[in-house]
Amino acid sequence: MSGESEASASSSSLSATRSYLPPWSRPHIIGIGGSSGSGKTSVASQIIKALNVPWTVILAFDNFYRPLNPAQRQKAFANEYDFDAPEALDLDILVSVLSDLRQGKKVEIPTYSFSEHNRTNITTTIYGANVIILEGIFALFDPRIVEMLDLKVFVDTDLDVCMARRLRRDIVYRGRDLQGAMKQWFSFVKPNFERYVLPTMAAADIVVPRGLDNTVAIDMLIRHVQRTLTVKSRLHVEHLCQLNDEIKEEAVSDIDQWDNVTVLKQSPQVEAMHTIIFNRATSRDNFVFYFDRLVVLLIESAMDTLPYVTKEVATATGGEYIGLSPTMDVCAVEVLRAGACFETSLRKTLPDIAIGKILIQSNSRTGEPFLHYLKLPPQILDKYILLCDAQATTGAAAIMSIRVLLDHGVAEENICFVTYLADKKRSIKRLLTAYPMVKIVAGKIEDSFKRRFVDTRYFGT
Amino acid sequence: MSKSATLSKSSTLPDVTVLPQTPQLIALFTMIRDVKTQRGDFVFYSNRIIRMMVEEGLNHLPVKELEVSTPTDLAYKGLQFEGKICGVSIMRAGEAMEQGLRDCCRSVRIGKILIQRDEETADAKLFYEKLPADIKDRYVLLLDPMLATGGSAIMAVEVLLSKGVPANRILFLNLISSPEGIETFCKSCPGVKIITGFIDEGLNEKRFVVPGLGDFGDRYYCL
Repeated sequence: MSGESEASASSSSLSATRSYLPPWSRPHIIGIGGSSGSGKTSVASQIIKALNVPWTVILAFDNFYRPLNPAQRQKAFANEYDFDAPEALDLDILVSVLSDLRQGKKVEIPTYSFSEHNRTNITTTIYGANVIILEGIFALFDPRIVEMLDLKVFVDTDLDVCMARRLRRDIVYRGRDLQGAMKQWFSFVKPNFERYVLPTMAAADIVVPRGLDNTVAIDMLIRHVQRTLTVKSRLHVEHLCQLNDEIKEEAVSDIDQWDNVTVLKQSPQVEAMHTIIFNRATSRDNFVFYFDRLVVLLIESAMDTLPYVTKEVATATGGEYIGLSPTMDVCAVEVLRAGACFETSLRKTLPDIAIGKILIQSNSRTGEPFLHYLKLPPQILDKYILLCDAQATTGAAAIMSIRVLLDHGVAEENICFVTYLADKKRSIKRLLTAYPMVKIVAGKIEDSFKRRFVDTRYFGT
Repeated sequence: MSKSATLSKSSTLPDVTVLPQTPQLIALFTMIRDVKTQRGDFVFYSNRIIRMMVEEGLNHLPVKELEVSTPTDLAYKGLQFEGKICGVSIMRAGEAMEQGLRDCCRSVRIGKILIQRDEETADAKLFYEKLPADIKDRYVLLLDPMLATGGSAIMAVEVLLSKGVPANRILFLNLISSPEGIETFCKSCPGVKIITGFIDEGLNEKRFVVPGLGDFGDRYYCL
């Protein structure tokens, strides 16, 4: 056993491999509880609006009702089913969803239909959340959930106001009649609130009286979350830099010679194309032409990193030839915007390739990269992925994108990061520190370019 | 995995360059050699190999040093293409390689030479040529996908030499060649460089390259 672990440790050229923890591996989770009609949803929306950070998610308890059996359903339609007791909710699923989200995993949220009183077969995918707001009367009820919350809020609104709001919502939006809604309030909602919900106030960090009307409390709440996120963001940037510091410079001086790193042969033509691409005086027309031409070479080179098996074919002359055939399908993922510079050449070389897109933008103030948009082809699991970015300067976007692919079930060794220009001391070193099995194909390794310019020149904006 | 893939034979002749036998290139060759591959795929995959051949061929052209300023305000010492070029395709199969050349050199001039085998003598015979007027001042990329006996390629080189193009400015690009063809060609056309994708086993009794891929022109244009 110990011999095995030694072998695997020495097989990696990096002695101290560190994995990268994206911001969504430890999202900030806020729980908002309180009576039905107390204004929890409005408070949650207000917080999200004020934070204005990407990937903020509201997780509503409404989605976690247990599916009803026919007898229960009949009672539900007669307003005689108790939806406001903890037993009506599938808290076990919620706990597992929340715990997965907390580990940065992709989760599927069930959807509940109030008109049919049943769980529908539609699910919503949540992935990559930085901030999660869990909102529902029982947000602070289950100790397993409370334990996972970073901030516990209880909205304490006068019960008469709650009832008025609740009746209006039931009648206007949920198609109930007044009598039925009243019956529900007095037989279930109110008694359950007093029995189960009110005591959870003790678990809260902050109690907000009067809900959204209490602007002072809401502002305090928002400022608190903002402060926490600022610290989190600083730690993330530091963490990205640490990926670099851990490995000594000398240990990676030959990183471009490693087996999983391929740098395009710097032939006279390639060198002349670099010169055209690097030249400030090059027209956009020429820039695009020569960039596209070079990227074809890059993609052909990236295709060399695929696994191949021998294949015997008969030729038209009656002869036989033993050749090769790739064992996996290829799929491309572009890290936007710069990765999209590869699209013309991708389509030229592999016309029917499926292309996924990931938009990662760095915050101009903190330098922290954020995942803004994500659309991956289905069945990405069994594919060999060409992850494309025109330039890798700090490596942050690439590292984050690889994390996204791994979270979606892609194997590390099936990812090939293809880039035109890579910074060796920062991007390649960090990338291989975080993911030693990933393959890298670069057009040129050059440390002197400190910032991106390829996409600006390619798109002209 | 008892058998391994067959790679190109190597050549010790100084003017012969064989494309690096990467897995990707071999996979592309496997596609175009397969008799079951239909024309659409045949055209697509051979175009990809041709593109790589052209890129390799262009590396034999001269470059000179050039210093430029980058958009990030750095001075960069690089290289610049030097010398005028043109393509000359041996009709009809050589014309299949024009797209690959144009993909790398946008407005390149292309001359044509038609050489056919004489039905009676089986010797190559020149039927037609149309070449750039200033061809003697240009580097010439001579295009023909298959080098079998070398007869037509040698005749095409003779045409170019007669127009005043020096032998060391001619690059002959082909996809698959026979060892016999390479040897004959190098003997008859000293100084001309050959860039080939693959040197095959040899020629059959019908003077086709084996295992080869059949008649390139037919498979690219007709079948």
